[in-house]
Amino acid sequence: MVTRPLISVVDDDESVRESLPDLLRELGFAAQAFSSAEEFLASDLLGQTRCLVVDLSMPGMSGPELQQELTRRRLKIPVVFITAHGDDAVRPRLLEGGAVECLFKPFSEAALLDALNAALRVR
Amino acid sequence: MNMEAQPEQPPLDIDERRRAEEALAASERNLKLIIDTIPALAWSTGPDGSADFFNQHYLDYVGLSAEQVAGWGWTVALHPDDRDGLAAKWQRNMAAGEPGEAEARLRRYDGEYRWFLFRTNPLRDELGNIVKWYGTNTDIDDRKRAEAQRDRTIEELQGQQELLHLAQKSARAMAFDWYLQQEVNAWSPEQEALYGLPPGSFDGTYQGWKKLIYPPDWPLLLKAIKHAHETGEVAVEFRVQWPDGSVHWLATNGRMFFDGRGKPYRMVGFTSDVTPRKLAEEELRRSEALLAEARSELAHVSRVATLGALTASIAHEVNQPLSGIITNASTCLRMLAADPPNVEGARETARRTIRDGHRASDVIRRLRVLFGKKGAPAELVDLNEATREVIALSQSELRKGRVILRDELADDLPPVAGDRVQLQQVILNLLLNASEAMSGVDARPRQLVIKTERDEAERVRLSVRDAGVGFDPQYAERLFDAFYTTKDGGMGIGLSVSRSIIESHHGRLWAAPNDGPGATFSFSIPRSHGAAPDSPGDGLIPAPALTGEERVEGGS
Repeated sequence: MVTRPLISVVDDDESVRESLPDLLRELGFAAQAFSSAEEFLASDLLGQTRCLVVDLSMPGMSGPELQQELTRRRLKIPVVFITAHGDDAVRPRLLEGGAVECLFKPFSEAALLDALNAALRVR
Repeated sequence: MNMEAQPEQPPLDIDERRRAEEALAASERNLKLIIDTIPALAWSTGPDGSADFFNQHYLDYVGLSAEQVAGWGWTVALHPDDRDGLAAKWQRNMAAGEPGEAEARLRRYDGEYRWFLFRTNPLRDELGNIVKWYGTNTDIDDRKRAEAQRDRTIEELQGQQELLHLAQKSARAMAFDWYLQQEVNAWSPEQEALYGLPPGSFDGTYQGWKKLIYPPDWPLLLKAIKHAHETGEVAVEFRVQWPDGSVHWLATNGRMFFDGRGKPYRMVGFTSDVTPRKLAEEELRRSEALLAEARSELAHVSRVATLGALTASIAHEVNQPLSGIITNASTCLRMLAADPPNVEGARETARRTIRDGHRASDVIRRLRVLFGKKGAPAELVDLNEATREVIALSQSELRKGRVILRDELADDLPPVAGDRVQLQQVILNLLLNASEAMSGVDARPRQLVIKTERDEAERVRLSVRDAGVGFDPQYAERLFDAFYTTKDGGMGIGLSVSRSIIESHHGRLWAAPNDGPGATFSFSIPRSHGAAPDSPGDGLIPAPALTGEERVEGGS
């Protein structure tokens, strides 16, 4: 049996941590949720994570800062940002910065799947 | 007496001679009586001016004997100051041989000096030589005193005129006295200069004056004239147009006098050129208008900025549960579509969907509470609950500013009476300010502590402590000025609005620098003892003195 690719979800919003991993599992992925960037960095799942779904703005380390930190550690994990700030202006900047996608909450299952497929293709 | 007839009489007998002698003696007595009684001091001197006779009245008056005054002895009664002057005049008079007069003070028997007019006439013999001088002294003291009084009055008037002139010069105001019906120019050259007229060119007529007035101000003057007719008081500021076309401000204060038929005939007063003051006032008004404009512009910008920040915050708060709803609903569908269907999982995700739906509707409800009410009656407000709602609404703003918020809300906090929405606006403002104060801080955590506690004297205190840039303690009060701000992008309006809200709750709002970095903003308001929101004593909380528009501002 093929191992399911691990998708790590980092979001300070509890309802996202609760709902998104369930959906990801229904979609056929393995999923793990973290409440902060620091928690994720401290975990032993960095190496196994095939794609990171991370909230843009969080207390403490923000999404883009986590992305920078991963680059600094030479960990090439594709990043999909999610944000509840419907600010179109940030998206191009994030994509330029190497993000696979930036999804505005609430996003559809289809949009999520597209982003994840793109992320896994990158790998 | 018929003495002229005597030579034509036949030789007189003894009786007749005796009768004639008696008549002569009687005549001489009579003459002496006249001389001694006339209300004048009479005297005579020899040709050299040395006195040889004084009438009794003279002697009585000066209180000296005939021997004492004989020759030049009489001069002892002269006022020492007048002695030389009179002597010189007397010498000149004698030299000229003309009748003469002079004035000098004579000492009365009681020591009082009074002014006398000395008059003298020469008596000449057949050859024209002066053989005697006859003279009288007349008391002119009353006249002299009156003259002196008049001189003093004139002097005083001149002094007053000089003072007036000085006052006019220093006040740059010109007095005028205008006889309205006479149509003569009683204006001084200075008064004319105020109207830009060359000296003496004003014709003194009402029509002539009207022509000098700057036409747009004429109605104003008509009003002032009407007022003067009613009250006699003249007080008006108006503009005049000089012949060269320039316009100047004059201020006139004065009084109008009326004749028996109530017709004004005379106006006195002061007119001064107040152009510099008027220009300064106008300048002030202009800058005030500009300030008001800037103020409303700033208020607008601030409101828009706040609404912008709030909109983003609201969008975030709504999008979060919506995201949960959609994700959960998707999961739910997938679980149901599985073979076999994961009914238990589907139920769980459906429950979460409902919960998130409630969460979204809560956000909307809070927004309605925050912006929907106006002029609400005082109600019992649980500051903890109010604070939690504000925190929930500003969560995303704080997150965006990477602020780590900690709340320390007291468990046993008594309620306060007030307008919940207004108090929440203050809390929101303090939170956003604190967040902004830390926006440039990277060397330490952007820690924000919001705390509620019981304060002394039956009060409740809420404080917001940041780790931001802080402020200079000497400007602690200025923070609450409408336009004071230490923030580049800040408008500074929020704090002054917040303070007026807290003060309308009988509380106070203040700022204090922290021991460490940052500042703490606190407000303290009396706790409520009311059992129910509508309990007596909890009246309407007056809206702070703001326009409805300004009240929308939460923070800046």
